Amino acid sequence: MDEPAPLNRIAAAVQLLEQRGADALLAFNNAQNSFLESNAVFVLSGVRPIGPSAVLIDRSGRASLVLTPAWDEARAAALAPGLTVTAADDLPASLADALERHRVDRRRLVTVALGTMGRALARRIEAVLGGTPPAIDDFTRDVARRRSADELAAARRATAIALSGYRRMLEVARPGLREFELAAELYCHMKALGAEDNFLLVSASQHNLAVRAAGRRVLDQGDIILSEITPCYRGQYAQICRTTVIGAPSGAMPGKYALLQQAMRRGQEAAVPGARVRDVTRAIDACFAAAGYGDYCRPPYMRVRGHGLGITSDRPGDLTADSDVVLEEGMVFVMHPNQYLPETGYMMCGEPVVITAHGAEALSTETATLDVIAV
Amino acid sequence: MRTVQPAIMIGSYGWDQDRLPRDEFDLRIGELDRLMDANGWSAMLIHGDCEEHRLLAYYTNFVPRLRWAMALLPRKGEPRLLISMSARDVPAMKLSTWIADVRTGWDWGHFESWLKSLADGSAIGTLGFDGISGTLFGAVERSLGNRFDLRDASGELPRERPLRPRELSLAQDGAALVKLAAATAAGAWRQGRGNEAALLAGERTARANAAQDVRTLVSLDGGRSLVPFQGMLDARHDPFLAHIAVKESGFWAELFLTLAERPSGVMAKAEAGLDAALALMRPDADLRTLSAAALRTIAPLPLHPVLGGRVGRRIGLSLDEGEGIEPGSLWTLHVGAVDPVEGGAIASAMIAVAADGAHLLCRSRDV
Repeated sequence: MDEPAPLNRIAAAVQLLEQRGADALLAFNNAQNSFLESNAVFVLSGVRPIGPSAVLIDRSGRASLVLTPAWDEARAAALAPGLTVTAADDLPASLADALERHRVDRRRLVTVALGTMGRALARRIEAVLGGTPPAIDDFTRDVARRRSADELAAARRATAIALSGYRRMLEVARPGLREFELAAELYCHMKALGAEDNFLLVSASQHNLAVRAAGRRVLDQGDIILSEITPCYRGQYAQICRTTVIGAPSGAMPGKYALLQQAMRRGQEAAVPGARVRDVTRAIDACFAAAGYGDYCRPPYMRVRGHGLGITSDRPGDLTADSDVVLEEGMVFVMHPNQYLPETGYMMCGEPVVITAHGAEALSTETATLDVIAV
Repeated sequence: MRTVQPAIMIGSYGWDQDRLPRDEFDLRIGELDRLMDANGWSAMLIHGDCEEHRLLAYYTNFVPRLRWAMALLPRKGEPRLLISMSARDVPAMKLSTWIADVRTGWDWGHFESWLKSLADGSAIGTLGFDGISGTLFGAVERSLGNRFDLRDASGELPRERPLRPRELSLAQDGAALVKLAAATAAGAWRQGRGNEAALLAGERTARANAAQDVRTLVSLDGGRSLVPFQGMLDARHDPFLAHIAVKESGFWAELFLTLAERPSGVMAKAEAGLDAALALMRPDADLRTLSAAALRTIAPLPLHPVLGGRVGRRIGLSLDEGEGIEPGSLWTLHVGAVDPVEGGAIASAMIAVAADGAHLLCRSRDV
């Protein structure tokens, strides 16, 4: 049986410490969870903390999770086998104890994500550390850039939940429903399937400029609902992007939507191990350019052609035409040739993908189509 | 109660100008203008993030759904709001604040260009900068260089302020919504649903009624501890102990809920402890006195560990707004314990403290 991903990553941290001649690594989380960023404490412990927290790894391979609040210790200990877990209400004081236990020379520390901590707390932590140690902030996003088998399985489950959420939307969305009511229904439906979090944007317009979080708009016939559905299952976010019309779509929409679908396929084909992100982006943009929309392949008509997914690792980062990041087998990210076109407004089409030897395999069992809610 | 911070707050965050009119914000900003005049400051910067944004929301009505936001408020000239979202998000975010000039904070040039409107050599007051990340603070410092000094204004403004009638009206709506959500959860549990499924039913009710945010914690070990959502929907545990917090129109409301198949001694103690605290709740009461009374009642059991040693706190735009029991304050009280045999229980209530006494807004045993 494979070792849990955090333990492999702790081993990688030890190698890094040896290379750098450092005694210990301290990785922090400020208690926030961005679905676009790596949560260093989660990557190294498997725990998504409630309050500000840290993981301390020394060169012998011993690792401690120091988290807040005090009452969260039992949950964390169950999720982080192999780590010594200490929960307290005062992170700096608890960190000081952990540094003593590990007998770490505080002059030979390196840190991850200390710069994300709130300033008042960071100052107290720096007082414990005796200064501001060198930062290696990219370590956790780099070491976790390829998903483990367990993480990939969780990402597939998150994708299945997202698809179920979308099917639920097709069932319940109707004229008269307010956006926030629709969002509430989708969010709770997916939570009931096990999604502990959800970066959920659902909004509608007769001519969209972008997707946004749900508001109080009342849905009506002719509205085009944009949905960016991003449930998180066991720390793995997976995102699908969908476009749904209430009533009959305009004459131009099916043909224009086919353009997004074609761009998605081209992007998947281009996303092979060793390819650069810019090559994938250009393959997508080329579809729009060939149809006469080259000038629309830039903000505000689109943002990026996809992006990494936190909280494990946001690699390969944003899919942009100037990214030199090289794709590797096992990377998971969302690819979405979402696009504003003057005839249709903004439309969305996107799937979570994993890089395989043959290109980007969609984790979705049902890929995006232009869907219609009959009225 | 802290819970795991979500990736985004998905609720409806528009600015309801009937309930919070522009002149309300003129009153609030007037306070900052007087502060700037008294100190000779040319501007104020107010930072907030998705987790703690009390001051930012108070002065701008803006709540960051994710990451951070910063209000740039000059004494003379036009205010600007930077949001850590893309430029495409700006039109939607403008609907949440009276500040017309909303820009993406991802382009730091928007900070630099605003700074040019200020006279070199002046001082700038800051609020909410205890929580600003080192990375963002570094960017601010680099822009200010040696041309401006930052001055922490947090000590110059009241930490606790009385709610005005229109604020209290909004807060009461929040209390009504959390009561409704808790009642839904209680009803679902009594009908045989699992603990997490029952709590999710309550969350669904709150979200479907336009809650801006909903946070929950549940016990899966007989009330001894609380955990964030685990996805064990059908697991049924007795007693049912849960926490639900709801944000409505910017104001938080919360309840702990304890239910059991059969009444237990620890539940009775928790209720008696809450009764003891409530009996002493009045304007200008001392929280230590309330706490002592509650602890005497539940003795020899100690206070439930998830309560962190506190039987109550002010609540409002943030989940923890201090400990002054003054007229115009909104309070949450919670008393509970863990019995080694019976498990845990927490009883809670929300109270509005007015000049004429303490008014119960909702109580967990009533749902």
